[in-house]
Amino acid sequence: MAYVATRGGERAIEQAERLFRDDLGTITRERIEAVRNGLPYLIDRVMGEASLYEPDLAALALAQAGGDLYEAVLLLRAYRTTQPRLTVAEPVAQTDLFTVRRISAAFKDIPGGQILGPTLDYSHRLLQVGVLKGESYTPDPVIPAAEPAPAVQPSLATWQKAQGLIKDYPAETVAPDDIPDLTREPLLFPASRAHKLQSLARADTGGTLALGYSTMRGYGSVHPTVNELRLAEAPVRMRHPCGTIFSAGRVRVSQTEVVSKAMELELGFSATFGWNEVKVIAAATLDLASNQPNPHPASNEEFVLYHTEPVESSGFCIHFKLPHYVTFQSSLDALRRVKTDREEATAGKIVAEAEDQSEEEEVAL
Amino acid sequence: MTLQKLTRPWTAFNYGFLDESAKRELRRRILKAIAVPGYQVPYASREVPIARGWGTGGLQVTLTLLKPTSVVKVIDQGADDSVNASSIRKFVGRVGGAVETEDTMEATIIQSRHRIPEEKLREDQILVLQVPNPEPLRPVQPDMSVAREMHGDADYGQLWLILYEQLVKAGRIMQGSSYPSMVNGRHVMTPSPIPRWDVPKLNQADHLTILSAGREKRIFAVPPYTSVEPLVFDDVPYRVEDHQDKTCYRSDVSGFFMNELPQDDGSSLYELSDSHFGVKNIQKSEGEAIEIGETWYKNGRVK
Repeated sequence: MAYVATRGGERAIEQAERLFRDDLGTITRERIEAVRNGLPYLIDRVMGEASLYEPDLAALALAQAGGDLYEAVLLLRAYRTTQPRLTVAEPVAQTDLFTVRRISAAFKDIPGGQILGPTLDYSHRLLQVGVLKGESYTPDPVIPAAEPAPAVQPSLATWQKAQGLIKDYPAETVAPDDIPDLTREPLLFPASRAHKLQSLARADTGGTLALGYSTMRGYGSVHPTVNELRLAEAPVRMRHPCGTIFSAGRVRVSQTEVVSKAMELELGFSATFGWNEVKVIAAATLDLASNQPNPHPASNEEFVLYHTEPVESSGFCIHFKLPHYVTFQSSLDALRRVKTDREEATAGKIVAEAEDQSEEEEVAL
Repeated sequence: MTLQKLTRPWTAFNYGFLDESAKRELRRRILKAIAVPGYQVPYASREVPIARGWGTGGLQVTLTLLKPTSVVKVIDQGADDSVNASSIRKFVGRVGGAVETEDTMEATIIQSRHRIPEEKLREDQILVLQVPNPEPLRPVQPDMSVAREMHGDADYGQLWLILYEQLVKAGRIMQGSSYPSMVNGRHVMTPSPIPRWDVPKLNQADHLTILSAGREKRIFAVPPYTSVEPLVFDDVPYRVEDHQDKTCYRSDVSGFFMNELPQDDGSSLYELSDSHFGVKNIQKSEGEAIEIGETWYKNGRVK
């Protein structure tokens, strides 16, 4: 009798993978384009969590994974890590952002104005079921404003800082190559500000929301106000080896500043690739909450950053499907021994008691 | 001279998948881990094309150690043919062109999840253990930053305390696998979730063991000829699993760590956990010229 040949396992995993891919069918350029063009907010979410801005690759990852978000993010991360880091782009200030949506909940009106931009915030959430019956759904056309909003907007926090409402910290000058890079260094605690914001930028949207929401609801001392939320396109400017700065294109970004109303106004901040408002509001709240003395575990920096990592958390969760029979056997051995020990101890006690009794009987005789 | 002549032809990825900067970082961390036995060295831990928690830490080390002359064995829970072991072995072959083997004696690199082979490893072999949780202090201190300080202070009192509590409550030390062990008299490490059976194999071993946790981004090592002592009380000896007298129903070999196979009639059968060791024993009993290496355990007892 021989052991099952190794080929058995290899054949099984190969066929299982084929079965999954067979269900998805042929992936074509058209499918990638349909995903990219039809689901831009999904693409944004995946690019943010993957920390790789490339809509075509994100659409490809989604198509290959059949829409499984964690699989898609892992595909992109595993690709990203093999790519060389060519250069570090110039920093982008808020006033550089081509802003399409900008709102503040702190004031009725703000310098530069509130700009609603594209949003479903005030829409009635009704399914257009007619589409299923073959009636195409064409949205009503947008009527342009009399005056277009300016492409760039001032920063509200700058105004607050000038008023002495928010403490201003001097900007540190760091050489581009010395900027801490989470993808090239381990995350250690207490985390540097750069690592913390980078980690939140690529955190899992759902995980960030869960922990951020717990903080907002009351597990923590922060009751945030959205100071400024922006959806924008950020210019990617790079330095040419001969010294000139040129634009290499734009990336969609979202960012949020939340402000606490405790003893003094304090800012929490978050930014990420793509337009993902829920994530940046939740993440900015977590940033703010984690800076408080003795934060609740739900907003403790180490707790938040470790547990919102999408690739690590999802991978560990699904690893429990792997066989664990060696470790199980090891625990079983300890449990069985306790049982036999107890049985032996009880048996010993009965024997001892019986002996005691017979001795007493002998004495009585 | 053209630019094309100066560059190498395009490839989908570097030799061994990881780029050279990632390998360089890992080599430096491995050297540090060897220099400070049992100390957890943080590393960046790159994403690799398998899911986190599925051996990404071990895989990164294997990929870094890989060279075209390497002979690689991958085992999962003792078995070479386990699906995840197959998948990892296939990946290593695909990106590194290494020779794959199932024979412990032939391998130069052995990547393993939760078992150490029964045949003794030599000085020229490296054992890479996959580690889910690198922190032995996790049961008493979930914050890694605080645990790191406790290691700095060699503050391990609470670990003895939980072992003592188990003794008081259950009459026995209940720790199954991942038995906390003192390395080189200084750092307590988790040997990864290998059974207690395998921990003595690390003590004063001829081979180098590298333990790598990809998800948790920590690497640590047991260099050759280093002491690894399970935490025990003077009057309560360390006990491995009661597998000394179990006999493998396939190979008729006894005295090694076994898998228990529950049967319909309520009884259990046992088979050797180290699957290729079992295969070799069967082949030998069938008269094939098979060399079986020296084993750590002899007659169910470690020498």
